[in-house]
Amino acid sequence: MSAPRRLPSHIAERAGLDRRRFLAAASGAAGALFLAACDSHGPKKAASLLKYAEHKNEGLERVLFRHTSIDVPPRGALPAGEHFPSYFVSKNVPVWNEAAHGAWRLEVGGMVRKPMQLSLADLAALPRTGYKLDHFCVEGWTAVATRTGVQLADLAKLVGVDPAAKYVDFQSFDDDYHESWDIESAMHPQTLVVYAQDGHYLNAAWGAPARIYSPTKLGYKNTKYLTKVLFMPARNGGYWSDQGYEWYGGV
Amino acid sequence: MTSSSRPQSALPDPLTLPPVDSDGGARPPRAAHAERRHHVVVRVTHWVNVLALTIMVGSGLRIFNAYPAFARKGETFCCYPFEHRSIPAKLTFGGWLGGARNWHFAMMWLLVVNGFVYLAFIYLHGEWRDLVPRRGIVRDSIEMVKFYVAARKDHPRQGKHNALQRMAYFAMPIVGIAAVITGLAIWKPVQLAPLTDLMGGYVWARYWHFWAMLLLVILTVGHVFMVFAVDPYSIPSMITGGYREDLSPEARNARPFVHLLPRRRE
Repeated sequence: MSAPRRLPSHIAERAGLDRRRFLAAASGAAGALFLAACDSHGPKKAASLLKYAEHKNEGLERVLFRHTSIDVPPRGALPAGEHFPSYFVSKNVPVWNEAAHGAWRLEVGGMVRKPMQLSLADLAALPRTGYKLDHFCVEGWTAVATRTGVQLADLAKLVGVDPAAKYVDFQSFDDDYHESWDIESAMHPQTLVVYAQDGHYLNAAWGAPARIYSPTKLGYKNTKYLTKVLFMPARNGGYWSDQGYEWYGGV
Repeated sequence: MTSSSRPQSALPDPLTLPPVDSDGGARPPRAAHAERRHHVVVRVTHWVNVLALTIMVGSGLRIFNAYPAFARKGETFCCYPFEHRSIPAKLTFGGWLGGARNWHFAMMWLLVVNGFVYLAFIYLHGEWRDLVPRRGIVRDSIEMVKFYVAARKDHPRQGKHNALQRMAYFAMPIVGIAAVITGLAIWKPVQLAPLTDLMGGYVWARYWHFWAMLLLVILTVGHVFMVFAVDPYSIPSMITGGYREDLSPEARNARPFVHLLPRRRE
């Protein structure tokens, strides 16, 4: 018999590591990599890549978008009622100051033939649409409420929107809160200028006197305390969109 | 040797032919230990998946923390015992809700494209044969478990993977696909309402998405643990592709933390 063949040493041995040191080094390296990443915003250089992805996602979302896609809450879903979170960006609940600014009116203007100023009574006199609708918050929660108001598409017909208008801005008296939308989402049959929720005129917490509401947009796109609906040739961002939430915010 | 005197022929020079074994069979072009265990496509998609999945889970947990519960407002949810309890921030990625969402919705494409490349490759290249469960997989898995808990002395015979690996690696893409589909359902619950309805609505789709993530994490943690505890020699095989069969768990008769070093032979 010839001399026993010497087995070639394995990688860890060649690197001068015994079992324990090999395991410690390997798990240490993996752990460091993990810790470096966690609870961080990620590399700054990725920002343009993320913007690019958002842009591409918006393209896809607009392709997917259908006016015939209708939100229907599950049959047994309970309305949130009082549990519906209130939301505003001002220090206090925004309330329309009639003494300072006169009676509240909704201004519908921009690229339209007949700009209009509508009082709450004017709105209530227009053809009324009510839906039981889901609300999808960017945070992940959802809530059901019955929303009553005027289809924005009806208002658009009333003022005669220029076909070249591709965007709509919804402005408010909740500080500088506003959000601009693509016109397709704004003309969805479930996009309403809402003045009543669950059968009652809006209270201050829910955006009185009127707000925009559509289940096809995330909550933050739906401006409360509405003052102005502006048809525009270009988008002009929005309160949350300018802070890094996606502008499209489609559901 | 004067090559000019030789007649031009399509036949190769005999000296460049591979040597012939005594049993008459041609030897493989490389020595056995230098054979690539994982094709380069599998190796690249594996590590891209590590990156994509880590960011998807981290950013997903950050998004979840914005509302760490499943209940619709005004309702309660039956099936999650930790409603309204946040995930530790250390386990999250993205820094804030908007940042995490941007990462999540960008990295989902890397995850999907990478997963598609991997699945298409293993289908076309035949690697799927090493991964789909075969008859007797349950029995073989039980034998593996018996071996791991030392109720059996010798390592069960296996091919490229043992029965437990086979099940885990087969389950991974399926759970991954489930994660993507449930994710789509909560991304577009109105535009893709039929899909969301199929999962029992938005609340349940979100719950199934969470479960898919949890299963992926469990499979990954188990996988990484076993790599370090049983077969650390497989790490190079996922980087350079090289793997030494003489160091395989079967050759070492290795169970977790037992026979981690190769057997000494005198």
